[in-house]
Amino acid sequence: MGKKGLTRRQFTGTAAAAAGAVAASSFGAPYVAQGAEKVVKLGFLGPLTGEVAGWALPGRNACLIWADQVNAGGGIKIGDDNYMVEIVSYDNEYLADKSLIGAKKLVLEDDVKLVLMLGGTDAPAAVQFFTKQKMLSTTLLPSDLTPDTLYHLAPAEVHPLYNVTGVEWLAENRPELKTAAICAQDDELGWPSVATYLAAFEAAGIDVVYNKYFDIATTDFAPVVTAMLAENPDIVCLDTAYPDFVNLLCEQLFLQDYKGQIISCTLDFYGRIIEKTSTEFLEGLIFQFPDFDDPAMNEPHINFENPNEFFVNYNERFPDAWSAVTWEYPAIAEMWRLAAEKAGSVEPMAVFASLKEGGRGPHVFGDADWWGEELWGIDNALVGNWPVVQIQNGKATIVEYRNIIDWWNKHGELLKKHTAEQG
Amino acid sequence: MTGGGLTALLAVFCALPFLVALYRLDILIFMLINVILAVSYRFLTLAGEFSLGHVVMMGVGAYGSALATKEAGLSVWLAAPLAAAFTGLLALLLAFPLFRMKGFYFLIGSFAAGEAIRLSWNRFRDPFGGPGGIVFIPSPEIPLPVLGMVDIAADPIAYYFFTLAIVVITIVVFYRLERSRFGLTLHAIHWQDVLAESVGVHIWWYKTFALVLASAFAGLAGGLLGHYLGTVNPTQFNLHIMLFVLVWVIVGGTRTIAGPIIGVVVLTVVDQGLRSLDEWRPLFYGAILILTVMFLPHGLESLPRRAREWWEWARHRRQPPVSDDEEPPESDRPPPQDA
Repeated sequence: MGKKGLTRRQFTGTAAAAAGAVAASSFGAPYVAQGAEKVVKLGFLGPLTGEVAGWALPGRNACLIWADQVNAGGGIKIGDDNYMVEIVSYDNEYLADKSLIGAKKLVLEDDVKLVLMLGGTDAPAAVQFFTKQKMLSTTLLPSDLTPDTLYHLAPAEVHPLYNVTGVEWLAENRPELKTAAICAQDDELGWPSVATYLAAFEAAGIDVVYNKYFDIATTDFAPVVTAMLAENPDIVCLDTAYPDFVNLLCEQLFLQDYKGQIISCTLDFYGRIIEKTSTEFLEGLIFQFPDFDDPAMNEPHINFENPNEFFVNYNERFPDAWSAVTWEYPAIAEMWRLAAEKAGSVEPMAVFASLKEGGRGPHVFGDADWWGEELWGIDNALVGNWPVVQIQNGKATIVEYRNIIDWWNKHGELLKKHTAEQG
Repeated sequence: MTGGGLTALLAVFCALPFLVALYRLDILIFMLINVILAVSYRFLTLAGEFSLGHVVMMGVGAYGSALATKEAGLSVWLAAPLAAAFTGLLALLLAFPLFRMKGFYFLIGSFAAGEAIRLSWNRFRDPFGGPGGIVFIPSPEIPLPVLGMVDIAADPIAYYFFTLAIVVITIVVFYRLERSRFGLTLHAIHWQDVLAESVGVHIWWYKTFALVLASAFAGLAGGLLGHYLGTVNPTQFNLHIMLFVLVWVIVGGTRTIAGPIIGVVVLTVVDQGLRSLDEWRPLFYGAILILTVMFLPHGLESLPRRAREWWEWARHRRQPPVSDDEEPPESDRPPPQDA
């Protein structure tokens, strides 16, 4: 290497300095409770790195903000004591073996009282361990629930069941829409969601004129959109597509001059989609995940402390990173706080009993029922109201809360039929 | 390493489960399974080919053993070796198209073959379980006089020693093979395949045997993993995991069988050491890899030699250390054939 180039020694020095700076900033994170005060630790076991990190890291960061808010308010009141909250995270890289290691570390070494998980393929080994240890754990994917996962709860979302609320609202408020086209990625997230949308459209009297999966490796969505629009649908349904897919599908719909109704499960980073398309194009789009600065989040049935402040704090610390999963983990933590205060204990089984008392629990969108035996063989999913969200003037706006179980009681058989057909 | 040194190393591994916390015992179990994977992978590289399908072969063993126990009701003790043998058989079939290729083309071909297998687990929910894989895989049990059937996967110490025994067998098999006439021929194929063929060596047969044996042991490692975790899914055997195997082998070194073992052990320790950094961990991990490759291009196994050279250089201020591009010392050359 010439004299003007970077020598190996210089490179090493620069790399070490950069690594040190990053380490210092990481170790200096503000969420660790200090001093001799009583501390309760909550575990976060999820993919903080890798391809699936987008569904866990924003949630972990949101939990840190939630913990800061709780601690700033004096902590969690258990009897005469105030407990400060500490979030202990373990990156399981979305792998079953790392998940089991993390589960054992969090329970046996860190003595956490609750483990928050994303759920999915990394979960089974860890959840078996939690069950043996009588440790309370949670998932965002109710498909993790089985009759054997006794203390594993799905207290935030019941994907994809809540998607029915959007279709039902659309059918009531825009009765002129009679046909729909559905596209979805060909994977475990897409299949059950398609079954749910098919059932919801059938219940609403809307004909599905196009329903096809696209490969998970798809990068060019022009042919997918062209094929859908060839059927001239009144509604284009994006199913539960991954954020990048939703982004690209919307862009293609815009480029191919679609002017009809769009419905989607999520609409993460919708500001970026508006930048690529237009405010007018996205106007009226229906999806299921609200921003927490929404005025409807201040209604009395909401079980979340200061949602507007939480939203502002999150966007200040992590700009442009609010997504569908951001609020779900802290919402579960908040539900745990309410149950622990009610139980007068932070011990997992005491909080579990408090949560399940009377068959109802404090879901973020209002008290809800523990439900799910018909689908997963155990009533460990908290199901009740879910918001229907609409883009209005470029901003996500809750238009109504609807009850999922009400829909199930009327149309549950349809969902069972379509689930069986989709395999 | 001397016989005394090996005995001491084995003693350390036998003592480890009683010295570490329970959750760290799991790290050791997975580390041992990875040692089998890395050592078997290195054996394949002796023939001069780097494959990107080795982790998928591990998956074939894991899925095979899981299905044999769960669906066919076979005992784990029978299912795991059968699944390993099936993995070897599958590797034999793959050898026909794959060994029509060399070098970069073999690399890509092995990746394509591996992905075809892995995506079939994803696609066919019956019997592979789709993306969610197979869960509630039975554990290995042993009959004990008073206790009856004892589940050894439920006791991490028992499973650790069980895995350690398999690791020792694996190392002995590959070590002996490498030092045999067969191993020397593989080395010859690696460095001078045309010359080896010109003197009558049937290259395809040698490469195929290396692939079959390496794959069978990878399959055995998969069985060990699946029966301990109780679950297998396609994500556990994707390219991302394969890259880790490459990193273990390259960072550890490929000249001796100790290289990949050192790679797995050191990088497992490093990975655990960086755990507190959460999402920053890959950055540090990557920096360590870059520095290792920069300063120790022949892997961590060359560290003692490089350290000696640096020490001599620093002491005498004479010439800089010998470049790694130069002829390796005698100790780094292919091992002599056993009598």
